[in-house]
Amino acid sequence: MSTVDDDPVAAPDWVGRAANQSRLAFGLAVTELAARDSSVVAVSADTLDLIGLRDLSDRFPERLIEVGIAEQNAMGIASGLATTGLRPFVCGYAPFITARSLEQLRNDVAYANQRVVIGAAASGISLGVAGGTHHALEDLALMRALPNMTVVVPADAHQAWHATLATEHLDGPVYIRLGGRVEEPAVTPVVASIRIGQADVLRDGSDVTVIACGALVAPALEAAADLSAQGIDARVVNMHTLKPLDRDPILAAAAETGGIVTAEEHHLTGGLGGAVAELLAREHPSRMRMVGMPDEFAVVGPTDRVRDRYGMSGRGIRAAVLDLLGRSEPLA
Amino acid sequence: MLSNREAKLQGLREAALRLRRNIWRALHAAGSGHMGGSLSAADLLAALYFHHLAIRPDQPDWPARDRFVLSKGHANAALAAVLAQSGFFDESLLDDFYGFESLLGMHPDIKAPGVEMSTGGLGHGLAVGIGMALGAQLQGRDFRTLVMLGDGELQEGSNWEAAMAAAHMGLANLTAIVDFNKIQQSGPVKAVLGLDPLADKWRAFGWEVREIDGHDIGAIVDAFDALPYAPDKPSLLIAHTVKGKGAGFAEDSHLWHVNAVTDEVYRNALDELGDAQ
Ligand SMILES: [Mg+2]
Repeated sequence: MSTVDDDPVAAPDWVGRAANQSRLAFGLAVTELAARDSSVVAVSADTLDLIGLRDLSDRFPERLIEVGIAEQNAMGIASGLATTGLRPFVCGYAPFITARSLEQLRNDVAYANQRVVIGAAASGISLGVAGGTHHALEDLALMRALPNMTVVVPADAHQAWHATLATEHLDGPVYIRLGGRVEEPAVTPVVASIRIGQADVLRDGSDVTVIACGALVAPALEAAADLSAQGIDARVVNMHTLKPLDRDPILAAAAETGGIVTAEEHHLTGGLGGAVAELLAREHPSRMRMVGMPDEFAVVGPTDRVRDRYGMSGRGIRAAVLDLLGRSEPLA
Repeated sequence: MLSNREAKLQGLREAALRLRRNIWRALHAAGSGHMGGSLSAADLLAALYFHHLAIRPDQPDWPARDRFVLSKGHANAALAAVLAQSGFFDESLLDDFYGFESLLGMHPDIKAPGVEMSTGGLGHGLAVGIGMALGAQLQGRDFRTLVMLGDGELQEGSNWEAAMAAAHMGLANLTAIVDFNKIQQSGPVKAVLGLDPLADKWRAFGWEVREIDGHDIGAIVDAFDALPYAPDKPSLLIAHTVKGKGAGFAEDSHLWHVNAVTDEVYRNALDELGDAQ
């Protein structure tokens, strides 16, 4: 079957411009929304290029609100804009737009339940070399703890585009976690849309289920392919929405497969693994392993190497599955 | 016979007196609360709601209404009282101040009619006000946005991010009012972390500043009528006030920033206001 993916000529313009970077796909999608809807505005904290808003700024200069390096102010202003009926998209670095402006996010946005979309670029350890000040490994825990908040972790640039467009139909605040200045492998098709709150089963399997989000979806698929060669049939679920959490595929995985491994580029506290464990503890206690960042600050280094050091890689996911199933690593 | 102006001011003074009684009514119902900063703001709020703001209490979400944000949210007794007195809801709701599932808690909740933003965490209101003022500007709408700040609140750095941005954006449709009562929770502002020179700080940040006696109704009305103070800058009104104004036992004392309101305190407060009914 031929799809748009196979035919670069037919691919929409945004695909090339996003260059497989979810942060750019977000900015392009906000620009697309701004072209459709005059109530769409972007609030930048000196993050115009980080998040692909240069084009919006050129085409709709009055709707690009630059507040400078002042995340608290960005968040409060976004809330005020939303009260007047505008649709603000706040753009920032994940570590700063969550933690620095957390009280504004909690009070002005979540508590006051305003329709504000937050695009958080450079999440996880996508800025590996930048060190702990610039790693965002607790943002999902912070956002997930806020009532009214929808939390989305696109698996790639394509999904970031569709997720951003889909916020058009959501009320209340939305957090969209985005990658850094590196290419992200495409794991979802260009034409796929996203149903926020409804996970995608990317690969069926009956022995074990890997539930992954964001940057760890591609490694989860890689691990599943490796495991398959060992005769282990792994289901892979892309849990792109952490909140509201899609219960059915998790409970089905617990009932139908031999255990669950979660995989995320986030602390093991309070993120995807926590969300899945909370659900299963209540409704279907299951054997689990969690792949993610242990309770320490990550070392400095190239992103892939730092991820792998803490098991956030295909290798690490495969090891977690084998451990869960009581199987040992194959001899090298 | 009184001139029109004098009659107007007399009416506002009476509204402010009634507002102070309603503040105490709410605080007495609650058993305690923030009387100091509620009473210091009472004359300003009376002039705002009964003279200055374009509002429709029977239509709280009227799109063209002026926006008022009480950034010093702990003075919610005063906001709730002035909203009730304006007709956004019944004055009897003040008897449910701090009540179980009440719309009226210690701090404003956007769910209550007439409340434009949930506030209480200090240093939030001015940024939200910028968003409202920008929202008006972007949509070609005429409504104005006013934000009331506490003096102690200005110690929060977020105010200065907002002050810088509002001036940079040239938001003439935005006004901030500082209820400068010189006292905060643990003592005089000067002793805790001084603000001087306050007017110069705001001027340096790009605001057009005026200062008045925040209990002189005539001066308050004139200051509101004169807005905006510059065609291309946000306006700042520094209102010099007395914490606990109108209750001698509570005036100018950090002990009455927040305190218990017994039956006796309530009786004394109403006695001082000259009417115990
Ligand atoms: Mg004070």
